Amino acid sequence: MLPAISSLRTVITRPNYGASVRLLHLSAVTDAARKGTREKARKKKVKVEVQKVGFIPHNLRDKKIVVSRVNKHVDDSWKQIPTDNCYVGRYYRWKVYSIAEAIESHRETHHPTMYDVPDANIYAHVELNMQAEKSTRFVDNFNRMAMIPYKFDHGEQRQILVFSKDNEHYPEARAAGGTLVGGVELIKDIQNGDLLLTDYQYVIAHTNILPDLVVLRGLMRKKFPNPKSGTLGTNLKEMIEKFSNGVSYSAVKDEHQKDFGLINACFGTLDMDKKHLEENLIALLKDIDSVRPKREGKFITRVLLKSPPSKEQFKIDPFLHIAEEVSNKASKKSAAKNEEQLEEQEAAVN
Amino acid sequence: MFCNKFLLPRGLTPISQILPANLQKRTTFILKRKWQEPLRKKGYGRRDLRAKNFVYDLVEDTLVKKQKNLSVTLTQYVESVGGQGEVISAKPNAAYNKLILPGYAKYTDAQQTTEKKDIDYAEHSSPFAQRTINMLNRITLGVVMNKDVPWVLEPWHIRVSLRKVGFYCDDSCITLPSTPIKGPDLDIENKDFYVTITINNKEKTELKCRIHHWSTDPSNRLPYVFEHWKQESEPLNIPSDQV
Repeated sequence: MLPAISSLRTVITRPNYGASVRLLHLSAVTDAARKGTREKARKKKVKVEVQKVGFIPHNLRDKKIVVSRVNKHVDDSWKQIPTDNCYVGRYYRWKVYSIAEAIESHRETHHPTMYDVPDANIYAHVELNMQAEKSTRFVDNFNRMAMIPYKFDHGEQRQILVFSKDNEHYPEARAAGGTLVGGVELIKDIQNGDLLLTDYQYVIAHTNILPDLVVLRGLMRKKFPNPKSGTLGTNLKEMIEKFSNGVSYSAVKDEHQKDFGLINACFGTLDMDKKHLEENLIALLKDIDSVRPKREGKFITRVLLKSPPSKEQFKIDPFLHIAEEVSNKASKKSAAKNEEQLEEQEAAVN
Repeated sequence: MFCNKFLLPRGLTPISQILPANLQKRTTFILKRKWQEPLRKKGYGRRDLRAKNFVYDLVEDTLVKKQKNLSVTLTQYVESVGGQGEVISAKPNAAYNKLILPGYAKYTDAQQTTEKKDIDYAEHSSPFAQRTINMLNRITLGVVMNKDVPWVLEPWHIRVSLRKVGFYCDDSCITLPSTPIKGPDLDIENKDFYVTITINNKEKTELKCRIHHWSTDPSNRLPYVFEHWKQESEPLNIPSDQV
């Protein structure tokens, strides 16, 4: 490029030409062009300002702390299975209890002659593999409500706002546990500011009021009823009972290990019937399993049953009640089947 | 070899002649060319390699490769390993240094098959019973009992207390002192008594226990004693069953 430009210059600046030579350019076009490009290049350069940092004492400077973190997904399958009738637990695989055995073991420690808390809460400590469809993606933390067949006193104050156009629904909704039940007049109150949405944790609506409810979408945001979260439907009683008696739980990812999620949810008290507790736990596990990401492998990895004040935790096998692994092919097949069934049903209705 | 004799001063032999030829050496490194040699043209010979074609990436160093487990047969009972005649699979270093060198084991023949009934545990019920006894002898078991509700100590109380510290057993393994221990009684708080643990209906050992009174109401609880097992304590005045 450079030699070309210099030769061009010589052509321009050379004074004496014969009459036969015609000048190519009379103005300093080339110089002007170069000026422009230089300015562009200057503009492109971003000034990096080096900020001066004052003196920091050596003991206050950041040290790179190398912490070796242990994988939280525990795998003890390399350990032996005990053969003696009295053994030291640390050398062997964790004992796997049935749900009934685990509850019975907790009842022993909470017996009146020992801790004397026979009505203690029992918690399910559910460990999750939070990996999503790709290995670099992870399932977000989630909060859900699991419907359980046998209710217990969860000790929470849950305020539920119920909307329906049909007056006949009101007594049923109140009986089921709705704090405030109403129709279009409630919507007007909320718009006027007489009723505060912040006083209510859950908003449930019958589908017949949905067109009127749309005006509140901006006010309600995430609370706005939708069928996916189970807050919009035709069976008001079931929905309200789910939210007044259900188990509310949240899955939290580990701070350092993003593929490790943890749920700690109370599903009953120790003095409840063993079978009722078992059914509650199964309902909870099934609800958790319903948000399983579409990938192969386990989602729920381990389930421990705990009951304070005892520090004991008993491992149970959740895969007796839910599917351990769902292969992509199988899920696709089942989805296709469901679609076929739906189509058949629609055809039958028509 | 020829070359070595010329280079070495008189009277010295090359090291390759001193060491046995079959000495195990791990000198294999698996390498990969960083810049592949160019492709040949049809009908032409191999092209000359350039300097960069002799630069390699290390794929595997066989010296630091994880070795397969070694299978050895025990020649005698070894505590927490196995009985005589038992085939053990262990990491090669551990198997060699801890079992073969002291003469506890020999290399397993390829055709060898040992059945469970042929294994001799030398007066032990299992290879792990002695380890369990050693650990039971080492601990002082705190038995947490209620301070407000009357109770009589039963085997399942001991079983639950053992489970809390990571020992698993049945009720049938536990023999309490013949005199019943009753409570709540603050006179027996933190005093030693012994229960007998029977492992696999064979080995017997004594387990040192202490009663600790616990109240559901936090204000009613006794002050917490840090590491109670490190402190001296008087025996509880009940005759203990000696093994």
